[in-house]
Amino acid sequence: MNNALAPIWRSFQAVAERVSMGANAIGTLCVLALVVIVNYDVVARGVFNNPFMGAVEVVQFSLVFIVFLQLPDVVRVGRLTRSDGFLILMGKRMPVLALWLQRFIDTLAAIFMSLVAYALWPEFIKMWKTQDFFGVPGVFTAPYWPIKLIICLSAALCVLLFVGKVIGKAPVDHAELNSLDELDNA
Amino acid sequence: MSPFEIGAASVVAIVLLIYLGVYIPVALGMVSFVAIWLMRDNFDLAVNLLKIAMSDSVMVYAFATVPLFTFMGLIVSKAGMGRDIYEVMNLAFRKITGGIGMATVGANAIFAAVTGSSIASASVFSTVAVPQMLRYDYNPRFAVGVVAGSSVLGMIIPPSAMLIIYSFVAEQSVGDMFLAGVIPGLLLALAYLATIWFAGRFTPAFVGGRSIDDVPSLSAYEIAERTIPLMLLIMLVLGGIYTGWLTPVEAGAAGAFFGLVISLLRRRMTLATFWEALLETGHITAAILFLITAASIYSRMLGLAGVPNALSDWIAMNQFSFVTVMVIYVVLMLFLGTLLDTASIILIVVPLFLPLVEPLGLSPVWFGIVTVVGAEIGLLTPPLGISCFVIKSTLNDPRISLKDVFLGALPFAFVMLLVLIVLIRYPILSLALLN
Repeated sequence: MNNALAPIWRSFQAVAERVSMGANAIGTLCVLALVVIVNYDVVARGVFNNPFMGAVEVVQFSLVFIVFLQLPDVVRVGRLTRSDGFLILMGKRMPVLALWLQRFIDTLAAIFMSLVAYALWPEFIKMWKTQDFFGVPGVFTAPYWPIKLIICLSAALCVLLFVGKVIGKAPVDHAELNSLDELDNA
Repeated sequence: MSPFEIGAASVVAIVLLIYLGVYIPVALGMVSFVAIWLMRDNFDLAVNLLKIAMSDSVMVYAFATVPLFTFMGLIVSKAGMGRDIYEVMNLAFRKITGGIGMATVGANAIFAAVTGSSIASASVFSTVAVPQMLRYDYNPRFAVGVVAGSSVLGMIIPPSAMLIIYSFVAEQSVGDMFLAGVIPGLLLALAYLATIWFAGRFTPAFVGGRSIDDVPSLSAYEIAERTIPLMLLIMLVLGGIYTGWLTPVEAGAAGAFFGLVISLLRRRMTLATFWEALLETGHITAAILFLITAASIYSRMLGLAGVPNALSDWIAMNQFSFVTVMVIYVVLMLFLGTLLDTASIILIVVPLFLPLVEPLGLSPVWFGIVTVVGAEIGLLTPPLGISCFVIKSTLNDPRISLKDVFLGALPFAFVMLLVLIVLIRYPILSLALLN
């Protein structure tokens, strides 16, 4: 990578990582909210015969928040579901090839998440303009647009994190490149 | 290429990419996206399906069971309830050869009724049971094998994350799947107990161990303290679902709340562990639900390509019997199980095979139990038995190699296969508890 841009890129990445950790904390609170809401509904309905009308909609809403607020952090800590047995084996025998395979994998993931963001953005604009909602009118309704927005932003953040993995993850390779640079300069 | 050829090639491409180490949701989503685009020669259609899958499939109400039961399981594990029940079981089985092994199986079966994850069971019992077995001169391979084998119970005895995942792919009710899992889970536990008993009787060298003399005896109050809260929790969750008093989502929430109350009363919960459990729940939920989301694009793609139809035509043409179909199915799952985790196997094979099962007049609920048990065998088999990896890394003991864990688990994997055959042969075992 170009040396002048490197520090800017690094701080950019640091911000992306901070944001995903923050989103993760909010998503975590949504888990707690889910437990509280469903229990409140069970007790209110079973004991006081006075159910919480919006329980289903709030649960649906919080599910989207839990998944997409936490997803970037799952990417950041590398816990997205995968089977890395082959990659580990290869890493021992052919570290350079394994590194390039890893880069290919993260590039593919970045492309997929960009597609998700691309697919959801017009949907957000549409929902924002029409103010569409779900739920039963008169009982409980919630607007659709925050859902579309959160998915779109989450996907975009994942793209940044994956790109960061592609460019950043190169302990062996970087050293080689640097030494090549020095040779060139000399 | 015809749509069918594209569809079939996609399945192969997905399996290859996953073997290479591509993130499973990315492999499923990306390949399906490209396949739809190619089949219909329409980029916008593919984008549209991606949009629907991403934003609609996460909003299924019953998905809430995933975070709720995960949270309940983590709270209960972190509160040390697995160790509690193990201590009580150990007291009961102390006079028998292989008794600690039996206690591990029994404790796992009960612990499984409050957790939905084999990984949780494997890590809890490898820190609790393995050191004790080694102290009593048990064969190390037997010790780790028992823990690996019985950890599988966590995902068969409800609540189980895998039963939840199957119920989404197959559009079955979560409650039905949970009830269907009870008898097969207990059957497997009994089969393990019998195996250990026979092994202790006829191949004592494999089991090893000596009689235990210094098990701390527990007073009646201590036994009650260790068992009653757990039993109440199981009754609340499974009883609530069985009687129809609680939906699975509500049972999960009530279970999580009650588990939290128990651990607070027993002073086993700090703010730090509580936050840790929440954080972990979020990570697991996001990973599982994102995987299911991607799998929903995959099953749409298969439907568009007509792969399941072609498969059932092929089976009708060759006049394969029920037995042949099931043999193909189980072998396929065992093959995928060598590298993939259980959830991915379920998500890949069920959309292919479920359309074959229903016309044969077979119950999709029974098929789910067969699928989950079959896919779980992969947790115990090399080269990538996840339960075995967890045990090896939790133990972190140079005396026990990964090979020891796999060899120890092998007899249990074999018993599992036998139980699977029984379950296939006698669907009533899975369906008896259903209303």
